[in-house]
Amino acid sequence: MTSRWGALRDLLYGMTGYEFARHAMQIRHELESVFMVVTMGDLIGVPVLPPYYSLRLLPYVVPQIETWKRHMVRRKELWEKPEYDLLEM
Amino acid sequence: MSLRRVFESQPHRRYIMFGGKGGLGKTTLSATAAFWLAGQGKRVLIFSVDPQASLSDIFQRDIFGKGPVPIVQNLWAEEVDADRRIREYQDEIRKKIRDMYGLDRVPEEIDNYIQAASAEPAMEESAIFDAVVDIIVKGDYDYYIYDLVPLGHALYYLSMAKVYDEWITKITKLREDMRQYDQMAATMRREKVLEEDQILNELIYIRDRINASSRILTDRAQTAFFFVVVPEEMIILDTKRAAELFARFDVPIAGYVVNRVLPRELIQASIPEYLRNRITMQDRYLKEITATFGSQILAYVPEMERDVTGLPMIERLAERLFGEASGPEGPEPAGGRGAP
Ligand SMILES: Nc1ncnc2c1ncn2[C@@H]1O[C@H](COP(=O)(O)OP(=O)(O)OP(=O)(O)O)[C@@H](O)[C@H]1O
Ligand SMILES: [Mg+2]
Repeated sequence: MTSRWGALRDLLYGMTGYEFARHAMQIRHELESVFMVVTMGDLIGVPVLPPYYSLRLLPYVVPQIETWKRHMVRRKELWEKPEYDLLEM
Repeated sequence: MSLRRVFESQPHRRYIMFGGKGGLGKTTLSATAAFWLAGQGKRVLIFSVDPQASLSDIFQRDIFGKGPVPIVQNLWAEEVDADRRIREYQDEIRKKIRDMYGLDRVPEEIDNYIQAASAEPAMEESAIFDAVVDIIVKGDYDYYIYDLVPLGHALYYLSMAKVYDEWITKITKLREDMRQYDQMAATMRREKVLEEDQILNELIYIRDRINASSRILTDRAQTAFFFVVVPEEMIILDTKRAAELFARFDVPIAGYVVNRVLPRELIQASIPEYLRNRITMQDRYLKEITATFGSQILAYVPEMERDVTGLPMIERLAERLFGEASGPEGPEPAGGRGAP
């Protein structure tokens, strides 16, 4: 059982496994961003999930909220820079 | 078919709603049906999310926000107090956060968020929605009679069920995808056990409940939606429009009940002119109603001499509505008015 899987895993892990895992985590990270927006969007003024259910999930994301909000604000600053402001052009 | 026949011949339709425009008699007919069913030995819960507390009015008891209150044998009535529910819910969330992270108090930013989210109108809507889901999925009564607020709101509620259903399904799927990537990464790192994803569990819990309740409410085998109409101008057209809309949301329409029909015998008596005119007018609209809804009409409910409040009055109306001679085939309305 473990041997065959183990061999395959060792092969993958040994060759490209590390990168593969990193790649998976990267996608996972991006999905996390999307997930936070759809569930906690209220926090940054984009309500998506009905607030009653959003509150239900809140306790689980308490530690993430600070970093996530900072992240979103950074993005917003980027978009609000004059050189990106299409209306002014 | 009569209303009574619908209940007797389709016992699996345990979720009952009377819908219609404001003030046509939804609460009155819900209470009457609930009373009659309880008398037939069924365990019945009649419930409402109306902040007007109309069940308290009709049963002449203060039941608002008190959970299911026994009314007569086999009959319970419940009025959801949405504000209170939200307040209690906020406290639950705060407690959960404190417990999870061993905090004395909830961080200010988080608490501000809890308060801001709770002040939104969408919070009340979703809290009410969840209250209904809660009542429906428990399923421990034989009958659930949902005393609806006027049409627009009812339709809004039912469309909301569809939207929530789609949303929660998508979000749960997203979370499951995330989980797969976690799994992948964990496998690659030779980590055997992946911690349980509590968020995913919560989402699945929410999704399954929403799915279950919207499945029930759109299932003709389990739910019966009765339209209440009265013989008055505009009602027929409005009802036809509403019925078309409802059909689009898969609302299982079971038939029409014509309320507030004036007793035709009165016309022989010496009655004031205005009443005579009203009867003549009603005659015209009754013809229109029969022409429009035909065999889908399940009952003609007489206009009582005063507002229907209190159990004796409900009982009398139940006799008229469900008695042997009731229903459109019954001698009274069929031989009298409204029949084609
Ligand atoms: N058949 C009837 N005979 C006499 N009075 C009636 C009859 N049906 C309803 N009423 C009265 O009409 C009023 C409105 O009825 P009810 O509250 O049942 O309507 P509703 O459709 O639930 O209203 P809302 O849309 O506000 O919820 C009440 O005072 C009720 O007692
Ligand atoms: Mg009502």
